[in-house]
Amino acid sequence: MLEAIPYKIRSYVFSPEWFYGFDSIIELIATIVCILLVYYSYKCFKLTKENKYLYFSTAFLSLTLAFMAKIVGTLAIYKPKITRTSLGSSVHQTFNTITPNDINALAFITFVFFSLLGFMMLFLIVSKLTWKNKGVLALMFYFVILATWMSVIHYQLFFVTSFLLLLLITYSYYMNYLEAKTEKTRFVMTAFGILLISHAFFIFVIYSSTMYVLAELVQLLGFIYLLVPFMLIFKKK
Amino acid sequence: MTEKRRGKLEIIADVLKSIQQKNGKIKPTHLLYKSNLSHAKLKEYTKTLLEKGMIEEQIVKGKKVFVMKDPGHKFLLEFERIKEFSDSFGL
Repeated sequence: MLEAIPYKIRSYVFSPEWFYGFDSIIELIATIVCILLVYYSYKCFKLTKENKYLYFSTAFLSLTLAFMAKIVGTLAIYKPKITRTSLGSSVHQTFNTITPNDINALAFITFVFFSLLGFMMLFLIVSKLTWKNKGVLALMFYFVILATWMSVIHYQLFFVTSFLLLLLITYSYYMNYLEAKTEKTRFVMTAFGILLISHAFFIFVIYSSTMYVLAELVQLLGFIYLLVPFMLIFKKK
Repeated sequence: MTEKRRGKLEIIADVLKSIQQKNGKIKPTHLLYKSNLSHAKLKEYTKTLLEKGMIEEQIVKGKKVFVMKDPGHKFLLEFERIKEFSDSFGL
C-alpha cells in the first residue's frame, strides 16, 4: 500500500492491483463533471458579474486540478512504461533523479492541497460566510496549508479533514434543500451526501484496499448525481 | 456595485416576463402596471431592450405595442437557467 522510496518520500498507492486504471477513469469522470461546473459558473460570472459565481468556479477549478494531479500521480505508478516512450525518456533524462514514486508523492501532495482548498472554498460559498473579511480568508488558507502539511505525514488526516469539510457542505445543502424543496436541490444534497460516504470509506483505506475500491465507486456515484441537476437545467428549452 | 448589476438584470427579466405572459405582445400602459416601475425607469429599460433587439415596437390598430423578439426569449431562458443553477447549488 505504501511503498518506501529514497529521500524518505513515500508514494501513495491505495488501489489493489486489479483495480489499477479503473480509479483513474473514475477520477477522469470527476474531472469532466468539475470542468463543466467551472465552465458554466464562469459563464454565469461573465454574464452577471456576480462574484459568487467566480468563487464557485474557482472552487471547482481547484477540485479539477486535484483530480488531474491524482490521475498523473497514479498513472506514474500504474504505467511506468510511459518513461520508456521518446517523450518519457527525454523527460527522464532532463530530470533523471525523479522516479515514478517521486511523481506520485508530489502529485499526492498537489491532490491533497487542491482538494482541501476546493472543499474549503465550497464550504465558504454554500455556508454564505463572508468573503469580505480578508483575515478570515487568510486563516482558512493557513488551515489548508497546515492540513496539507500534516496529511503528508499522516495521510489519513487528509481524508478526515475532507470528510469534515464535506459534512459541513452536505449540511448546508440539506438546509438549502429544506428551503427550496426542489428536485435539483435534492440531487445536489444527495450528491454531496454520497461524496461524504465515499470519504468515510477513504479514511479506512489503510486497513483494506477493498475500502479504496468501495470509496472510488461511491465517489463515482456522487459525481454522477452532481451531474444530474446540471443536466436537468439544460434540458429546459 | 454587483448588487446594482444584479438588480438591473432581474428588472430586465421581469419586464420580458411581463411581455411573455401577454403572449409576447403588450401595451406600454400594461407593461408599466405589470413591471412595477416608474414611467422614467420603464422608458430607460425599454430603450435598452429595443437597442439590444430583445423587443420591438409595433403599431397595432393605431396603438403602440411592445413585441418580444428571439434575443429576448433567449435572454429569458438563460436568465432562468442561471437562477436555477444558483438556487440548486446554493449560491
